Amino acid sequence: MKILIVEDENTLSDSMVEYLSEEGHHCEAIYNYFDAVEKIGMYQYDCIVVDINLPDGNGLDLIRLIKKRAITLGIIIISALNSLENRIEGLEIGADNYLTKPFHLAELNAHLKSINRRISYGGNNQIIINEIKLIPDEHKAFVHDKEIILTKKEYELLLFFISNKNKVITKAGLAEHLWGDYMDLADSYDFIYTHIKNLRRKLLNEGCEDYIKTIYGLGYKFELT
Amino acid sequence: MRLLTKITLNLLSISLFIFLFGMVAFYYLLRYQVDQNINFELEKCKKSINKGLNSDHTSINQDFNLNLKVLITPMIKQQSPVSFSDTLLFNKEENRYILYRQLGYIKTINNQAYFIQIFKSLEETDRLIVRIVIIMNLMMIIIIITLLIANRYSSRQDWKVFYDTIEKINNYDVDSRNPFSLNNSDIKEFSDLNRVLLKMTERIKNDYLNLKEYIENASHEIQTPLAIINSKMELLLQWGDMKEKQYKIVSDAYEASNRLSRLNKTLILLAKIENRQFPESKPVNPATMINYQLESLEDLILSKKIVVIKRLDPEVTIQMNPYLAEILLVNLIKNAVRHNVTGGDLIIELSKDRLGIANSGPQLQMDPEMLFKRFHKASAHPESLGLGLAIVQKICLLYGFKIGYSYENGTHIMHVEFSKGS
Repeated sequence: MKILIVEDENTLSDSMVEYLSEEGHHCEAIYNYFDAVEKIGMYQYDCIVVDINLPDGNGLDLIRLIKKRAITLGIIIISALNSLENRIEGLEIGADNYLTKPFHLAELNAHLKSINRRISYGGNNQIIINEIKLIPDEHKAFVHDKEIILTKKEYELLLFFISNKNKVITKAGLAEHLWGDYMDLADSYDFIYTHIKNLRRKLLNEGCEDYIKTIYGLGYKFELT
Repeated sequence: MRLLTKITLNLLSISLFIFLFGMVAFYYLLRYQVDQNINFELEKCKKSINKGLNSDHTSINQDFNLNLKVLITPMIKQQSPVSFSDTLLFNKEENRYILYRQLGYIKTINNQAYFIQIFKSLEETDRLIVRIVIIMNLMMIIIIITLLIANRYSSRQDWKVFYDTIEKINNYDVDSRNPFSLNNSDIKEFSDLNRVLLKMTERIKNDYLNLKEYIENASHEIQTPLAIINSKMELLLQWGDMKEKQYKIVSDAYEASNRLSRLNKTLILLAKIENRQFPESKPVNPATMINYQLESLEDLILSKKIVVIKRLDPEVTIQMNPYLAEILLVNLIKNAVRHNVTGGDLIIELSKDRLGIANSGPQLQMDPEMLFKRFHKASAHPESLGLGLAIVQKICLLYGFKIGYSYENGTHIMHVEFSKGS
């Protein structure tokens, strides 16, 4: 997937480029509004990750411009502005997601994957990882073509793991993905532990390989060898 | 007491006081005038008697008024000289004493000294005085009442601007985008008041906007470096060739910066609730939200073998910000799950004016008041920010809900009373 990252903090931009490039995306980093307008006029992208506060303009204007020119691409806003109004406005003018800084790279990656699936398969898609098959639109999971019954959270967890396969995912990242911000995360880690234990058991029961590895009490990794 | 009532009462007491003294003074003045008048008449009578005595006896009676009585007695002992006085005489016809005004003087007729007394009945004049006083009283009372009513009515008109101002200030919302205006008054005090209030609200609004901007800026400025730190740590964690010890160090640092960013987000949320920056309000259905939250916590509830008892009225709606409603319910429910014991109960009751969330658990070791304090942690979880219930309390405060905690028979009960909700 070809991604344009518009973020004026180049260190943050570098992190995103590095993480996403490893996932096989082709990323281009742009640090200001003017260059971004030029880029989207000249090239075709699948997705744009845009910060709202840019030194010479507003990310929201960039989105409006994209919509005006009827360019089809996925849009993810990353912003430090966490006002509800900003969030609503961003989504109203056509963004697919709104992430508040600081966000987890794994979270950004999961959103991009979801956009990618929508663009590539038009919604009628499935994710196949060895013996595991997921049908995201129906929230269904299969192991060896046999459906396994997962709770909503377990399903979300599995999808998140698969989106970030072979990456270390921290417990904090998982907790925020499952419950969002503003949740006092005390013993959310116990929650996660419970969820992962159940998910792993259900997968193993159907003869699935044990992909979920614990990393030193820090987090987990969905490891495909 | 209303100022208008106070003024009316003051006016009433002053006028009653003046009226009382005025009436007494009036009575005596009138009395004095009437006495003067009668004295004059008696003098006239005296002259006429003297004239009669000096000449023809028969002509005396003709000048005499029927109300007049003349008594001529020979002088026996030393009588007082010429004087006017009031006296009571017995009236045989009416069989009672009647008040008379008398003029007594000494007259020498044919070398014999006589004491002559002329009496005039005061009954008629007395009756007149009483009538005049009564009429005056009535007039005064009518005048005072009319004045009071007129004053009250006209004052009310003048005070209207004032009450209007009070009402507007009461409903003043610093977050409102509508311009704030007050009615004009032709009364200097009121127009001064309105002018000062307008100036004040404008200043408050400016300060508020500055503060809001500051919070947004602070948030932005802190969040960006945090985002950088977090992303770098996340990248670092992806390096497969780290030793466990190195992982531990990075993971601890990552954990801390995560906590910092959540703390920042939560504090900004608290500030926003305090600043009433959630103006949007619509009817929300708590029952639906509660069911949704229970579903998302299902796994944990199952793992702790918690028995959920729901008594929810699905018809209940509450007018509030849906986002805040969700935060309120999430925090309360999650709290009840977290502090529950294995195999305990989680009882959620929702009625038109009350939400009660109860969970089993051992008694608190601290003052329940401390529950709602910021950064107070009941559990020893380092991940906990200790802000959950502080947020709940702030939201309740914002909407005028009453939140309380009680402990009965091994059950913690958090209850929210929607005094303003419906």
